[in-house]
Amino acid sequence: MLIYILRRLALALSVVLATMVSAFLLFFAAPSDPALALCPESKCPPERLAQISASLGLDRPLRQQFFEYFSGLFVGRDFTYAGDTVHCSAPCLGFSFLTRQSVNDELFSRFPNTVVLAIMAAIVFVTVGVVTGIAAAVRRGTAADRLIVGASQVLGAIPYYVLALLVALYPVILWHVLPQFSPMSEGFGRFLLGLLAPALILGLVTSASYTRYTRNSMLETLSMDYVRTARSKGIPERTVLFQHGFRAAMSPILTILGLDIAYLLTGTLITEQIFGVDGIGRRTIQAFRSQDLPVIMGSVLMTAVIIVVMNLIVDIGYSLVDPRVRLS
Amino acid sequence: MPEPSATALSEASDEKPSTTLQHQEKRTGRSPGQVAWDRLKKDKVAIICASIIVFFILVAILAPLLTALQSADPTTGLKADATRTNTDIVDINGLPMQGTSAAHWMGVEPRLGRDLFARWAYGARPSLVIGFVAAAASTMIGVTLGLLAGYLGGVVDRVISWVIDFFLSLPILILIIAIVPIVQKGFAGTGDLTNEETSDIRFWTLIVVLFIFGWMGLARLVRGEVKSLREREFVQAARAIGVPTRQILFREILPNLVGPIIVSASIAVPAYIVYEATLSYLGVGLVEPTASWGRTISDAQSLFSIYPLWLWPPVIGLSLLVLALSLLGDSIRDAFDPSSRR
Repeated sequence: MLIYILRRLALALSVVLATMVSAFLLFFAAPSDPALALCPESKCPPERLAQISASLGLDRPLRQQFFEYFSGLFVGRDFTYAGDTVHCSAPCLGFSFLTRQSVNDELFSRFPNTVVLAIMAAIVFVTVGVVTGIAAAVRRGTAADRLIVGASQVLGAIPYYVLALLVALYPVILWHVLPQFSPMSEGFGRFLLGLLAPALILGLVTSASYTRYTRNSMLETLSMDYVRTARSKGIPERTVLFQHGFRAAMSPILTILGLDIAYLLTGTLITEQIFGVDGIGRRTIQAFRSQDLPVIMGSVLMTAVIIVVMNLIVDIGYSLVDPRVRLS
Repeated sequence: MPEPSATALSEASDEKPSTTLQHQEKRTGRSPGQVAWDRLKKDKVAIICASIIVFFILVAILAPLLTALQSADPTTGLKADATRTNTDIVDINGLPMQGTSAAHWMGVEPRLGRDLFARWAYGARPSLVIGFVAAAASTMIGVTLGLLAGYLGGVVDRVISWVIDFFLSLPILILIIAIVPIVQKGFAGTGDLTNEETSDIRFWTLIVVLFIFGWMGLARLVRGEVKSLREREFVQAARAIGVPTRQILFREILPNLVGPIIVSASIAVPAYIVYEATLSYLGVGLVEPTASWGRTISDAQSLFSIYPLWLWPPVIGLSLLVLALSLLGDSIRDAFDPSSRR
């Protein structure tokens, strides 16, 4: 068991390191020019451009930039800007080129918005998905089953962003049925209400796959010998379904849930962009538009770490529950 | 798959058909592909979806012809095409001064006055081409790497598996957004380009980026299957009599994987189409002047309440096409899945 965990840990670490290095090479070595983005070419004299490049540290050799970035990540680093020296403690993601704010602050201050949206969406898709999945499995082959499976197939097949966009445009913006996003500082109740529309649509669309997972998993469990034994002993059907069937059927779904929540936490770019939720995903898109390299790097690293850590937790958790996993 | 019964069957059916032969036909094995094909032909949903897909393919191919069916625009006396702008038919605020007409079946675009039907019909092209080309390319990469990892094992397997794990833990959407401009620059070089050239380069850039990030699932699946198949008797036997490795891979192992490969490819097509439209919406997809549904939806959102005619045709086109492709993919999966056999 220890060896398995160590091996998984080494793999996770290598993936995170490789992501860091390749993301750095991709963004900093790439032929993009953030100085140009800050100062559009037509009205920017070359000396001003060079000045901006120098102040961003982009004129130094790549190896030096690389070393500084990674030493900042592990031990922190000092920044000099306009004569002031600012210390940025580890894990230092640098400062935004555009807003001059620390990237850590930029991302972590928006993280709560993303987290609340992710939790609300997860509540919706777990409840809807599991309930409809069990309902379909219990009524296997009936019209209700076909309706649920058909609806989940159609819901999962429509392009998500089109659906989200239509919900954002019509019920939210045009008809005012659901409130628009308002930041947490303007009252927590209004904040939660504002997240209702994005959470509902994100949750409902994601629930489509949970309906199918739950239904398949339930059907598989209910066809097991021990369930037949339980039924033949005369245990009430409700108890058989929930005590014997449901609990066993849930373990594969928990695995998928762990990974899905990891993806939701990395910022649901599309949902946040469409509904104007001020989370990490939306900030990342803004950073792309202005080629704000430190913010892009920071959010790529953060998302990679979240995904790798969640993967690790799920894998180790699963190997504790199911010893067969360790052998492969 | 070594399928002697299938060849025996085709030889037998060349002879005069008799009741005993037909009886035999039912009992002798058919290849999984044939079984799936037969089941698919009986699936009503699959037939409807396939017709919708064929409809859109026809729209894409015949876009110039369909556009020419509209009558000439009364103000210019010219037939509409996908790129000609006509600011005479929009008012000072950029709103079109006319709705749908014989000259413009779906009206004209606000501000630029381009014919919306032409943009819609031509807009089917990039979606379909990106979907099918990217799916074909990522399927080839996935199958090749999966075969290599599963069959060779050892260091090759470990390296490929690590790369799969690595790619799977990357934030794909963010990376695609980040990489598109970089690949674009790589393709385009530094020379000055016209809008059309930039647009074409962006189109191929998208395809490349999409399949680079889309092969991992299939590779992992193929690797697992190959690992178990290579220990099976018929592969062992082929190896024992000295069949070359290439032939073992392509004649013995690959035919057994046709089902999962087709299923994965058919699910990949709509996924790539959605990706293209989403990227165009986020501003890193196709660029003007190429007509694209995703781009049009993104542009039309600014005037959705005043001029819904701009927004809805691409929304319906995209949703219907993706829905049909996805449901067909589901049907294909069911057709290949022995456990769903009724």
